[in-house]
This record gives sequence, structure tokens and C-alpha cells, in this order.
Amino acid sequence: MLVFIARRLFVSVWVFLVATVVVFFLATNIRDPLADARQLPDQARASKIAEITERMHLDDPALVRYFRWLGDLLTGNFGKDREGQKVNAALDHALSATLQLIIGATVIAIVVGITIGVISALRQYTALDQSVTFVAFVCFSLPLFWVGTLLKQFLALDFNDWLADPEISPLFIGGISLITGLGCGALVVGDRRTRWAVFGITTVAMVALLIALSASEWFADPGLGPIVIALTAVGGALGFTALVSGLEWKPPLQAALIAAALGVVASLALDPVLDDPQLITLLGLAVLTALICGAVGWFLGGELYRRSAIPAAVFTGLFTGAVIFTDRMFQSFADYSDSVGGRPISTIGAETPNYEGTFWETGLDSFGHLALPTLALVLISLATYTRYTRASMLEVMNQDFVRTARAKGLGERAVITRHVLRNGLIPITTLVAYDIGTIIGGAVVTEQVFGWSAMGSLLFKGIEEGDPMPIMAFFVVSGGAIVVFNTIADLAYAFLDPRIRLS
Amino acid sequence: MTSQTQTAEAGTPPPPQAGDAAQGLNIVARSQGQLIRRRFFRHRGALVGMVLFFLVVLLAVSSIGWGPIPGWWDKDATTTGTVTNGGDPTLSVVPGFLGGGGVHLGEHPFGQDNTGRDYFALTMRGTQTSLLIAIIVGLVSTLVGTVVGAVAGYFRGRTESVLMRITDVVIAVPTLLLAGLIGVIVAGHGILLFALFLGLCLWTQIARLVRGEVLSLREKEFVEAARSVGTPARRIIFKHILPNTMGIIIVSATLAIASAVLTESALSFLSLGVQPPDTSLGRLITDYRTALSVRPWLFYWPGLFIVAIALSVNFIGDGLRDAFDPRQTRVRD
Amino acid sequence: MTSLTPPANTPTAPDVPTDASIIEAEEEVHAGRTLADSQPPSDEEILVVEDLTVEFPTDDGLVKAVRGVDYTLHAREVLGIVGESGSGKSVSSMAVMGLLPKNARVRGSIRYRGRDLLKLRPKEQRALRGRNIAMIFQDPMTSLNPVRSVGDQLSEAVLAHHLVPRKQAMARAKEMLDLVGIPQAERRLRAYPHEFSGGMRQRVMIAMAIINDPDVIIADEPTTALDVTVQAQILEKLLEVKDAVNAAIVLITHDLGVIAGMAHRTLVMYAGKPVEVGETDQVFYTPRMPYTAGLLGSIPSLEGERDGRLRPIAGTPPSLINLPSGCPFSPRCPLATDVCREREPELAEKGDDHLAACHHSDRLAEAEDATAFFRVPEEER
Repeated sequence: MLVFIARRLFVSVWVFLVATVVVFFLATNIRDPLADARQLPDQARASKIAEITERMHLDDPALVRYFRWLGDLLTGNFGKDREGQKVNAALDHALSATLQLIIGATVIAIVVGITIGVISALRQYTALDQSVTFVAFVCFSLPLFWVGTLLKQFLALDFNDWLADPEISPLFIGGISLITGLGCGALVVGDRRTRWAVFGITTVAMVALLIALSASEWFADPGLGPIVIALTAVGGALGFTALVSGLEWKPPLQAALIAAALGVVASLALDPVLDDPQLITLLGLAVLTALICGAVGWFLGGELYRRSAIPAAVFTGLFTGAVIFTDRMFQSFADYSDSVGGRPISTIGAETPNYEGTFWETGLDSFGHLALPTLALVLISLATYTRYTRASMLEVMNQDFVRTARAKGLGERAVITRHVLRNGLIPITTLVAYDIGTIIGGAVVTEQVFGWSAMGSLLFKGIEEGDPMPIMAFFVVSGGAIVVFNTIADLAYAFLDPRIRLS
Repeated sequence: MTSQTQTAEAGTPPPPQAGDAAQGLNIVARSQGQLIRRRFFRHRGALVGMVLFFLVVLLAVSSIGWGPIPGWWDKDATTTGTVTNGGDPTLSVVPGFLGGGGVHLGEHPFGQDNTGRDYFALTMRGTQTSLLIAIIVGLVSTLVGTVVGAVAGYFRGRTESVLMRITDVVIAVPTLLLAGLIGVIVAGHGILLFALFLGLCLWTQIARLVRGEVLSLREKEFVEAARSVGTPARRIIFKHILPNTMGIIIVSATLAIASAVLTESALSFLSLGVQPPDTSLGRLITDYRTALSVRPWLFYWPGLFIVAIALSVNFIGDGLRDAFDPRQTRVRD
Repeated sequence: MTSLTPPANTPTAPDVPTDASIIEAEEEVHAGRTLADSQPPSDEEILVVEDLTVEFPTDDGLVKAVRGVDYTLHAREVLGIVGESGSGKSVSSMAVMGLLPKNARVRGSIRYRGRDLLKLRPKEQRALRGRNIAMIFQDPMTSLNPVRSVGDQLSEAVLAHHLVPRKQAMARAKEMLDLVGIPQAERRLRAYPHEFSGGMRQRVMIAMAIINDPDVIIADEPTTALDVTVQAQILEKLLEVKDAVNAAIVLITHDLGVIAGMAHRTLVMYAGKPVEVGETDQVFYTPRMPYTAGLLGSIPSLEGERDGRLRPIAGTPPSLINLPSGCPFSPRCPLATDVCREREPELAEKGDDHLAACHHSDRLAEAEDATAFFRVPEEER
């Protein structure tokens, strides 16, 4: 195993080095870096040309320049661009912006995409499955830059306008409710009558909810309040228990409910801490929540139920935390919205320049800027995960060992979670890794559409000026990520699939 | 996933065999090709995709003609003129009795840009370019990918590791970066060269796919048999192995065309692809994207055509995949 | 928890040298056991199948996979079901397990100890599955989950039906591996299926089937995917565990040779229907249905009584969508006459507890060698 890892790493390093050579030679040949200087008036021209030639070592052969660049890189120095600015400084800024975008979008796309794919596979050939498949195909075929611009135009501008007078039109209420109802009706297991009942109930409930929210102008000053938090937490407890072990066993359900109760009580007790926390405090609280809930599950689960009580409690605890987090964000919304002139969804840049506020307000600021680019990126990559997950699940579901699992007398949930999901998701892990190149490309386009100055700008600056240094910085990060993720994918595959582990 | 596979484990009748009819048994014999065709035509999405794709191609080619051949549309993509009625599209599809303006094309069905050029002609030219590039990219990438994958898979050993390392190197460079740099270098040399090089950037997935397939096929008995009677390697690859991977090659080629449309338009949008005086759908969007709030049609039409092409080709690809391999293939090294 | 106590005659783990190699050769651990040694069947009827039909709607039409099957399984009995692929033998047993695809249309009744399985709610059905009625599948290579350890998959079967700690379920799993003759069971619990050979995997499948002490074991072609040398071991093991857990076995196969020393009674199926039922010896030595005779003629014989030549049945089984009129075997039958092509024969008594569905049973009874009706193919002459 160790030999396998070592060999894989060795190959990866070589592949990466060869790739840097290829990119470097392409980058030195795209455009004449002196083109601008040659346009200058006579006296300035010669000195400018000499200056740039000196700075970019244009007199040296490309090979020499490559090795100089490589030497610098090994000391963590990305060199200087045509203007003599250090690339490192620009890279730091660009990378953090791009990472925000990519990480958020990828995580959402993976979680949502896989979930939809799994549900779609479990409900194969139903109306739900067919609509999901169709929507996935449409998303698959959308040009990212086109969608991004459309989102900017309609979602951001129109949403901000609407927020000034947040009243929902009856047509909209009807539409949203109908879609929610149809979605819930399609998800539910059961005969025609149960489906219609669920459809009716959810539609009516949604209409009532939206009318209430609209009348109280909730969207201008949102918030959940302790009662809604408590109800959501209990709902989460029931949901997670149903997923993990089913509701017929007492101990896991008790553990999850206690976790939910603890969360709600803690939110009240921690009120002063949560007013303007540090990120690190919140992370600490999350870890603490997981530990406490784990302990609750361990004690209540006893020897027989530990394996289901612990995850049920931990998931419920973290979910409750997330609900409380959302509530805090909501509470700060009115203040934030006022401070940015009532236009919380931004269409340009990664943050409001010079904005200062509490943790929640800066959080909302980031969210407002990230929302649309992330949505655009998610829409595009979601489809890939949905399609592959569905295909992978269906393939596993038709295999003999799933029939064996049923023949043992396992319940449907155990068959799906322990046999189908576990096997079906292994190839998805590699897909996620292989897809990183596409995501980087998508991020560059998105940044362009939404006017972010991030990794993409580095690349365009280099191409514009015929300057290899920013291009190489872009490549070291993006290509490095691709190589690292591909390596991880191969190793992860070997780790997850024992058949490969041994060979 | 067709319904047959679901019942296969327990219930399907034995496979029909030719010659049974002679014994009075009522069994319909079907060849492999017939089965594939039947499965394809049962795929509703694929059929709709096929019709849509055909219509787009027909419209793009017949309206403004191809090269020296004139089309039925009387305006071209370069002549400027006076802007009438703010350049509003004159296309109307709502019939008069429904309260619309009747079904007609009008003077400028897709409107005009700010210099008065006919946007229908422009969009059709962009569609032609985008389609041409996509098809060339599809062909080139499939050809390169298939050859690399087949050779690597068949010969194994040193050949395989060298070829696969080259593939890894190409994969390590983000497509956008590689294609963008090459796009800038070949800019001004016309779209054909650009398409060729774009194809040379996009073959890696097909190579991995074909290699995987060939690796499993070369262990099959019929290949073993061919080898044991001394058939040369080239003949084995082309006569025995590749015909059996035709399914996944055709499917990948189709999907490659769909993704090429999107890649080309993204590159052109970033000004790294098609350069003026040529135009493509992506180029049109980037040229007119600031007009979204004043002349939104300049932004919508090319986008809709990109979606139409990509969507129809993707559906055709899905239908082909179902037809060739009801189990669904997926990308795995 | 009584059902989890170890069976009385658990053999002690055999002495095996500590072997580093992952895949070991099959080892013959026990002396051969024959049907005669095993406990005889009783009169208690535990599984009664009556007029079972299964149909699948497909794009090409309705596939009539099973067209009326009746049989009774007594406690500790081994019932062999023989037929070509597509004869409905597997489908009918999947119906017993309740594992047919959702689109299957099932009619008739399957009574297990008096309860009709087809009328049970899914939950009740699940509770019986794997606990009272267990199944062994054809291909041990694909029937185990490749990414989970064998111990995990075995103990899961226990945990599906018993509220016991995992540790106890694992102990039970180890016991079962010992019972089916897998050496170093403790260590093998942690191994993955691909680390076992085919025969060893089938032993794991047997262990999984008996781990909850079932009354009925359905073995669907348990030896078809195995090497010939391993087949006999697996069959003996099957008889051995049958006594260990006091179960009855439904042994499904296309191979009459497998049935010979294994089954008390045999049921021959053709085109979704039983065509001959009787004591195994009766079916073998005095077949009353030409199809059975044809099957017998296609077994290679070492004894030379039939001049050593194979007499295969010409043609292929009929399409289950468009069955020929009359007897479905008539297009392939050397004895077929007009009546066969017009009227499908009913299963009728042809001797002591011996039923067959044929208009011409008498001609078979008169013949000295029933298989002689089938011609030796031209090229072999």
C-alpha cells in the first residue's frame, strides 16, 4: 500500500512538472510583451523596451527563463509581472476570493446533486425522476456566462427592487405552493390517495405560510424566533432518526430529541456569546455540539443501538446549530440591508469595499456577493453529479448482492444505505476529483461575469500583456489542484474499494 | 436502464435465436443493429433532440446560405443600415385570433443591432460557425482519443505508460487555460485551425474511456483466438477491438460535440476563441452583453441557439447510450 | 434467543496450517455425506405452493414466466426442481422469497406453515425472509457485496432479525463459518469476498442462509458457477447443514446430475409449468414425459448402456410470450402427434405418486430406453 502511494505521488510530481514546461512555453509565445511599449513616443520607447526586456529577461532563451521561474517557485516565489509587481501579493488576494466561490459552490453542488440523484434513482421512471432528468439535461446544456448574466439581470436587480416592498403577488404564491406541493407529493411513498393528500396539505400550508409572510413583511426583516427554531429542531430530530434507524426504535429517537432540546436551550443560554462571535468560536461550538451529542447517543443508545443513536444525535445537534445560525443571520438582515442601500444581493465583486459590521453582517455581505455566482456555478455542475449518481445507483441496484441483501430480510432502508449507497457513491468520489478542472474553468467564467478580481483576472492580465508570470501562477494553483485531486481520487478509490487495495 | 434489465435476473425469456422460425416456433429474430435502432427510436428525448438539431442545422444553412451558395434570407450579417423602431425584433408567433400580431417573420425577425445590422443573419452566421467548430472538435478529439486509448490499452507496458502520462499532463492543465492559450496563439488564422487545436485539447476523457474498454476486450476469447493464429496487432485493433467499442466511441463523440459548443462559446465569450471578423454564438453574446438592459434580444437569441444545440445533441447522446449500452457507461479510469 | 444457540453437531474447527496465502485451495474437510445418511423427511407440510402464476408485462407483450405451479415441501425434504433456463424454476422460487421485480403479476397461493405469503404485508414478508425461508444464489462471485467484509455481511443477517449486540452476531457468524468448513473463521470474518475462492464464497453464502436457523432453504443453481471438483463438496455441505438446522431444501438446477443423489423428489418444469413430478428414482428410471427423457439423454453417461452417445433435444425452449398451441414441448418432441399440437396435456397420475403431463406417457412406458426417441445428431454418427 505504501509503495502504491509513493509511486502514485512520484508520477504526479513528474506529470505536474512536465505540464509546467508545456504551459510555460505556450505562455511565452502568446503575445509580444513589448507591443504596448512599441506604441510609445520615440524617447520613452527605447527606455521602456529596455526596462521590460531587463525585467522579464527577454534576452534569455525561454529555457533559461523557465528554470529561473522554477527555481524561484521552489522557494515559494512566483516572480514579478511586467510592471514589476510581485505576483505573490496578487495571488493571495485572488486565491482567497476564488476559493470562497469554488468551495461553497462545489460543496452545495455535491450535496444537492448527489441527494437529487439518489432520490431520482430510487423513484426511477416516476414523474419526479423524469422531470429531474430533463432539468439536469437543460442545466447540462446551459452556457454558464449566459445564465450568470441572466441571473444578474433578473434575480439580483428584480429581487432587490422587490425587497423595497416585499409583498408577494397571488400568482407567485400560487405557483410556489403548487410546485412545493407537487414536489412533496412526488417524494412521498405510498398509493395515489396518500400522494394526493400530501400534495393538498403541503400546497395549502405553503399558501398560508406565504400569505402570512407577505402580510407581515417578513422578508424585509426576517427571523425565526424560538418557537420556529424549536419546531424545526424537533423536525430535524425525527427526520434524521428516520433516515438513520427508522422511527420504530426508542433509544435513537430519544437521543436525537434530546440533542434537539439541548440545542434550543443552548441557543438561549449562549445569547450574549452569539451577538458578535468570532468564526473560531462558532467552529468550537460546532465541535462541542458534535461531542456532546455523540456522548448523548452513546449513553442512550446502549450496547444495542449505539451505532444508530450516535449519528442520529450528532446530525440533529449540528442541524439545530445550523438553524440557530440561520436565525442569527436573518436577524441581522434588516440592519445590513439598510447599510447597503436596500440592495443586499450584489452583482459586482466579492465584497462591499470598506464594509465593517458584526460577524453576522459581514457574513451577510459575503453571502450577498456570493449568492449569485455560487448559484450560477451550482446550476451548471449540479447536473453532472445528479446524472452520475443516478446512473451509478441504478447500476448497483441491479446487482446480485443487493438481491442477497433483500433475501437476508434486511429492510428497504438498510438495503439502500448499507449496500446501494455505499457501493454507488465510490465512483462518485473520483468523479468529484476529476471534475475539479471543469469547476476551475467555470469559476474563471463566473468571475468574469460578476466582475470579481480573482484567479481569472490573473490569467487575463497575463494573456493581455503576454506575461507568463501571472499565467504560471494561475497554472500552479489550478493545475496543482487538479493533480492533487486526481491523486487523492486514485488513493481514495483504492481505500474505499478493497478489491483495488490489494492489487 | 431499460425495463428489460430490471426483469432480466428473473423473468425474461431466453434470447431469440435465428433459425427457430424454421422449426415452427414463433420467435422474432433481431440483429444487434436492429435492437440498437429500436432502443434509440424508443427514446423520446433522443427523437425530439434529433428533430430539433436537424431544424437548427437546416435553418442556419438554408437561410443565409453556405459560402458562395445563397440562401433564402435576403439580408446578410455585415451590411449596416438604419435602425428601425429601436431595432425591435419583428418576429411574431402569436396568431391574430389569439390577440397577437399574426405569424410572420417581418423585416428583422431577431431585430437589429445598434448599427442596423440584421440580427437574424448575424445569429445564423454565428450558429454556422459554432456548429462547424463543434463538429470538427468532436471529430478530432474522438479520433485522437480513440487512437491513444486503443494503442495504450492494447499494447500495455511502456507504450501504455508513456501515452497515459501524456494524457495525465494534458488533464493537469485546465481546459480553459490550455485552449485559451492556444486560442490566442492561433488567433487570426481562421476558425478551422482554432477548431483543430481545440480538438487537440479535449481528447483525454475519450482516451481514458476507450483504454478502459480495450483493456477488458483484449482479455476476451475472440481476441485471444485472433492473436493465437498470428493476426498482426494493427489488424486486431482495427478489426476486432475497435468495432466492439464503437458504441462508446459514438456516444462520446456525440457528447464531445455538445461540450465543444459550450467550450467554444465560453472561450469566445472570454475573447480567447473566435476573433473578428469571424463571429460565433459565444462571440455575439460577449459583443452585445452590455445591451441586455436596452436591447435584450441581442443577448437572448444567440444564447437560445447555444442551448438548443447543446440540449439536442445531449439528448441524442443519451439516446445513443441507452441504445448501445442499456446499463449506462460512466467515466472511470 | 433460542434460535441462535449453536446446532448440536457443530464440527470442531479443523486443524489448518497457518497459511499466508490469501486464496487457499479448497479443502475436503468432511467425509462425503449422501442423501441416505441425512435425516428423512416427515409428513409435516411446511411449504405448499398452489396454482402459482407469474407474469411480466414487457414492451413485446406479456411474458408468462410461470403458468401454474403446484408443489408441497415437507419438513427436512429435499425437492429438486429441474428445467432449462426460462422454464420458470427460478421465477417461481423468487416468488416464494417475495423478491420478484415490482412489475411482476403474481397469482395463486404460497402457504408457509399455513400462512399465505402472497397475502402478507411487506413487513411481515420481510420478517420471514432470511429467517424462516433463506436462499442461496447461483453466482457466489456477484452475490456478496465486494466492499464489505464477510463478517459484516453475515452478522447483518443476524441483526436483521434479532435484537442482539453486534458482538454476539459476529460470534454467530464465526460459528457458521466453522460449520460450513471455512478454516480460520475468526480471521476470515474480517476478509473481503474477493479474497475467497468461488467454492469458499458459496460456503459463505450457505453460512448466510442458515445463520438464522431457517425451515426452508431455496438453493438456486448453487453449483452452476463452480468448478466441477468443488460442486460435489458444496452439495455435500448443503446436505450436512440441512441436518444441522433441520431445514427442508428446494434445490433448483438445470442439471439432472446434480439432482441424482441429492433430492427425495423431483419436479421437472417446462415453459412455466411442471411436466413431471415424482420420487427422484421414478423420474430418473421411468420417465413419463418425453422432455424428461430428453434431459436424461443429454447427460453424458460413463456406463455405456446407451452406447455412450449424447442425444440432445433439438430446438430451443418456446417464447414465453407466444406459446405454441397445445403442448409447449410438441415442436421439439419426437413423439408429438396432432393431439399434442391441439390440446395441452394436464398433469396426471401415471403411477404411484408419479405425475406427468403428456398424451403419450404409455409409449414411453413401453419403450426399453426412453431416451432412444431422441436422435443422435448426424455428425456424431
